[in-house]
Amino acid sequence: MTGLWVKNAYVIDPISGIMGEIMDIAIRDGKIVEEVNDGAPVIDAGGCLTLPGGIDSHSHVCGTKVNFGRYMSPEDMRAGRTARKGVMHVTSGYSVPTTFGNSYRYSSMGYTTVLEGAMAPLEARHTHEEFTATPHQDMLANTLFDGNWSIMEAVRDKDVKRAAAVVAWTLAAVKGFAIKLTNPGGTEAWGWGEDVHSIHDEVPHFGVTPAEIIATMIQANELLNLPHSVHIHCNNLGVPGNYQTTLDTIGLAPDLNRERQSLYLTHVQFHSYGGSTWQDICSKSEEIARAVNARPQVAIDMGQIMFGRTTTMTADGPMEWKLYMLHRNKWSNHDVELETGSGIIPVYYGRKSLVNCVMWAIGLELALLTKNPWQCMLATDNPNGAPFVKYPEIIALLMSSRFRENERNVIDPRTEHFVPLFAIDRELDWYDIAVMTRAAQAKALGITRIGKGYLAPGAEADIAIYPLKPDELDPAVDYQQVMAGFAKTAYTIKRGRVVARDGEVVVEGANSTIWSRADVPPEYDLNQDAEFVKKFEQYYTVRMRNYPVQDVYLPRGLSIRTEASL
Amino acid sequence: MRVILKTRPRAKPRIPIEAETIIPQNFLRKNDIRVYEGNKERKLEDLFFITVEGPAVSPDQVEVILTGDTGVIKRVGEYMNAGRIIVEGDIGMHCGNFMSAGEIIIRGNADSWLAREMRGGFIRCEGDAGHYCAAGYRGEKRGMRGGTVEVLGNAGDFAAEYLSGGEVHIHGSCGDLPGVEMRGGTLTIGGDCLRPCGNMTGGICRIFGTAHQFLPTFRKNGTEDVQYGGKHYRMAAFRGDIANRGKGRVLIRA
Repeated sequence: MTGLWVKNAYVIDPISGIMGEIMDIAIRDGKIVEEVNDGAPVIDAGGCLTLPGGIDSHSHVCGTKVNFGRYMSPEDMRAGRTARKGVMHVTSGYSVPTTFGNSYRYSSMGYTTVLEGAMAPLEARHTHEEFTATPHQDMLANTLFDGNWSIMEAVRDKDVKRAAAVVAWTLAAVKGFAIKLTNPGGTEAWGWGEDVHSIHDEVPHFGVTPAEIIATMIQANELLNLPHSVHIHCNNLGVPGNYQTTLDTIGLAPDLNRERQSLYLTHVQFHSYGGSTWQDICSKSEEIARAVNARPQVAIDMGQIMFGRTTTMTADGPMEWKLYMLHRNKWSNHDVELETGSGIIPVYYGRKSLVNCVMWAIGLELALLTKNPWQCMLATDNPNGAPFVKYPEIIALLMSSRFRENERNVIDPRTEHFVPLFAIDRELDWYDIAVMTRAAQAKALGITRIGKGYLAPGAEADIAIYPLKPDELDPAVDYQQVMAGFAKTAYTIKRGRVVARDGEVVVEGANSTIWSRADVPPEYDLNQDAEFVKKFEQYYTVRMRNYPVQDVYLPRGLSIRTEASL
Repeated sequence: MRVILKTRPRAKPRIPIEAETIIPQNFLRKNDIRVYEGNKERKLEDLFFITVEGPAVSPDQVEVILTGDTGVIKRVGEYMNAGRIIVEGDIGMHCGNFMSAGEIIIRGNADSWLAREMRGGFIRCEGDAGHYCAAGYRGEKRGMRGGTVEVLGNAGDFAAEYLSGGEVHIHGSCGDLPGVEMRGGTLTIGGDCLRPCGNMTGGICRIFGTAHQFLPTFRKNGTEDVQYGGKHYRMAAFRGDIANRGKGRVLIRA
């Protein structure tokens, strides 16, 4: 492979400590190097903002529930159609686009790595097949363990090492990346028509509480030395007054890892509500942000909602049922045997709805009130809060208080009585945005070790060049330009190859799927564990030998190996 | 104005033609009409012999006549809002999607999804209709909302699924589950059908043949006298679907 020069670039690379310098970047064989020979092709960045390739640390783009969202919403499929053009396939869909639609739109926004937020282990094959059809991003899959029977039995027996062994076996079997807990215990309870309402409620038939599940899994995660921490979607999502549950969960997080957080709380906006009913819902973002500021061992993402039509999808079955009781429109609920569940509902977030306006404000407040941008990442829980194509608008809202003031005039006028947003005058700068959209994600996911999220020699050459000149632009005033600039890169470079130019994809992609493999001592290998094998054959509807995802499903798999401290 | 479109012989006659652009309002202005043959975009004249007779000043005066091998042409009359289309033979899937006004006459049979999510206007199919006649698309919560569909032959499964307004009249028999999830409008079935009106919440369904495997979740509610085809019928009236607290009415010939 020939080399490539990116010259005259205004680089912000928070991990390498580069805060806005004009410099040249040399690329050879998909990696960033010190220099390449002068004959190599040159991209003149012309002083434009150049960042490491974007990383989305929580997004739902592939897998069975996304697909169900696609086929239950023909109206969404009619929105956002694009024709075949050059190497680009036909795409359709807005909130749940086709896989190529997702891939092209992420690519034109400069994103090169995306984490699928929830993969049911039993349905992993489909997720991996869709990963292969999302060719311009390296993909990772959080694997659901919230209602896993083997895990809950290990938690009941207070056997952390057993839990770690189950995690190690499952991740290796389904080629997952990290542990995801979605409403821990609640999804299992939902199988019996119940839910848990605090982290100290008991899960029926298992006699364990969400708090015990979370605490055990955090320890198991560290025993396996996995790259990412436990990734949690707290209990009581979307319930007024749920901020107390979130604070309790944050309080459970010990500080076990020097490199990264020990607990990642996702879409915290949905978990920061005060009040007791939908009538008196208010923002408790200040309390949540204070707790996060006081604990460097936790990281969060915003889960921002944006006004408009979208589709909600989560493994949190009971929550989707509650949403259905509000909307009374089409819905779906699904049980994954012995593991988890899911639900899907199309929704509309309106500026005229006070509740939606309060939700909108809470997401922004979390980002503005969290002092350390490394602890609060930008995400919409795509597509639950909004489709990811709204990220540029969120960036503009965070960078410009004037934009927020303008929005204040078009939303429900009562909003300001319920939220502190309009009293916050913080405006994020380019560095904060660079942290919140790629560097913090790379650090939180632990993928800097494979060269993601920075631009120093040795890193993967994933680069996004935005048509924005930070020297000439005041984002507080020119927020429209910021929005347009972040929506379409001038160049998106993936592994040393220009994949998108001016919002159009120019090559066929070849992504890799990144997964974690923890090497455990033989006595913790569940393939040899007679009791585990017996229970598996007894309770699952598939044979244990048919359960693991074969390598053929990951044409370009990349495993991160770790040595378990068991 | 009368526009006659006669299909040209094609090398691969079974490749479907996606022709949502064949609607009367498009022929009023002589713009460049394009259709898809498989995944290739084609000019209309590449696939049809086009004859235009007479003038027109509004789309109401435009009549489009399709002749030849028309059974593979899909989406004719999509979003049509005026004028008239006459199909001399069979027609492909999705004829009259989202149509809001005007008239479509089909001399032969219609494939599936005839009059899908139609909002107004009139469609008559003189042969048989396929599955999902006058229904909503998969995942849609409302099907046909207005207008009239008349099928002189039989219809396939799921006829008038999610019907929420307008009138559907099938002179022959229906397949499985006609009028399922109905929430308004009128469905008339001249012949037999299987398991009609499951989960119905509103509207009226009249069945003049035999309703096989009629669901037990309908409550009998007296009788009613109805005129149909010049004859007098005594109908058993049902209310339901009570499994869904529905307030629909089903009249079945006693």
